[in-house]
Amino acid sequence: MRLASLDVGRVNLNESGIVDLKDIKAIIDLMKKNSISEFEMERQDFKIKLKRGGNGIAASPQYDDSQMVAYAPAPIPMPSGGASAPQMPSGSSGEVEIKSPMIGTFYRAPSPEAGNYIEVGMEVTPDTVVCIIEAMKVMNEIKAEAKGIITQVCVDNAKPVEFGQPLFKIRPT
Amino acid sequence: MTIDTQILTALRAAGDNGVAGTELSQKMGISRAAIWARIEELRSLGYEIEASPHLGYRLLSVPDVLHADDLLSNLGQTKVIGRDIRVFEETTSTNDVIEKLARDGVKEGVVVFAESQTKGRGRLGRKWMSPPRRGLWFSILLRPQLSPTAVTQLTIAAATGLFRGIRAQTGLTPEIKWPNDILIGGKKVAGILTELSAELDKVKYVIIGMGVDVNLSAGEFPPELRKIATSLKIETGQRVNRAELAVNILQELDRDYQRICSGKFEAVANEWEEHCSTIRHNVIIHMGDRKIQGRAESLDTDGALLLRTQHGHLERIIGGDVTLEK
Repeated sequence: MRLASLDVGRVNLNESGIVDLKDIKAIIDLMKKNSISEFEMERQDFKIKLKRGGNGIAASPQYDDSQMVAYAPAPIPMPSGGASAPQMPSGSSGEVEIKSPMIGTFYRAPSPEAGNYIEVGMEVTPDTVVCIIEAMKVMNEIKAEAKGIITQVCVDNAKPVEFGQPLFKIRPT
Repeated sequence: MTIDTQILTALRAAGDNGVAGTELSQKMGISRAAIWARIEELRSLGYEIEASPHLGYRLLSVPDVLHADDLLSNLGQTKVIGRDIRVFEETTSTNDVIEKLARDGVKEGVVVFAESQTKGRGRLGRKWMSPPRRGLWFSILLRPQLSPTAVTQLTIAAATGLFRGIRAQTGLTPEIKWPNDILIGGKKVAGILTELSAELDKVKYVIIGMGVDVNLSAGEFPPELRKIATSLKIETGQRVNRAELAVNILQELDRDYQRICSGKFEAVANEWEEHCSTIRHNVIIHMGDRKIQGRAESLDTDGALLLRTQHGHLERIIGGDVTLEK
């Protein structure tokens, strides 16, 4: 089931971090999963009301603080598959991709005899070398550039990669 | 310039006429005793310096060592490469030393030589034999204003620079094998390993490591390498002056680096193609478990090899092991 896009024209993603698009998405996912048709939340000067009608969803946020500046972000793409109802809002959007800075050949180890730089589940820091991309004997050591856990290796060893192609996924910690 | 660099430069300029101690002392603003002490130090390194009451100091011969100040004195003015030279007696790999300097924020152009490397390496961890004082094992730090994808141009430039340096010193005409091996009579005499540190749209630094087999004799190569590797000494039949060769190579590399930085890759690529043994030949390329056969036609704008396959279509090659089809 694909939900109609959420009307967020008046949602203020304010700097005080009261609400975040990710939070709203997670709430919608929970509503969907548990067949809840209405949801209301009030916190300090923020109030949100979500209503599910038919196979769509509508939101009518209200603000007590008239000083808040409203702007219209792009419509949120709805997740097509249900998230696995996490306790805390997270989901795949929180992951970071390590992308290839050049066209070349992807190597997971410094030499054929050596072990892989990293495996799924390993913790990395921004300086951790995760792989090598080689193009015309230029060896490019790719660093994680983020702190987190490796959740996916997107390319097989010794395979060609394109510029900007995702190589790994990291869940930031 | 250090005192040693100044002394060696003055001695070279004076040639057989020699230069008086008082003149050196005035030029450099230090005492004659201090000059004498430096001369003694140079002698202990193997420099043969004659001192006579009439002629002053004369440089008779230089030892077969790499001496940073002497290299600087011979190199003269270069734009970038070799403005700073450091020589190590032994290190793991000169690329490792440069990497550390790069992280410490050292300016581009620094060159690190090692008289021997304990872990000299080629691509993908392949061992590079680097016995003491038999070759030139060195690395250069560059910080080019290029996109990471254009760094492959430096691979081509490094090969042409190295080619001209070897030709100028030895009179030999080597061939270049795509992308950057230097061969003589089909045997490898020098190799290049380039390591890059980049973000998606920006190069942080580039390390160009080079190994030149200069004065190795045939017996010094392990049996498995004798058929595929050679040295300049084997090819010329005589010892080659390593310090002079180093200076020639650095000067030529500096020239080509300037050409790349000013967008003149095409000129470099044309020169490369002229001396390349791969272009216009039938080759086999092994990439992992894939094998591609075809005729090497030309270089693409980034240095990739354009191969006309057996099936007639043009394929861009950026990696793999290239062998000429017999």
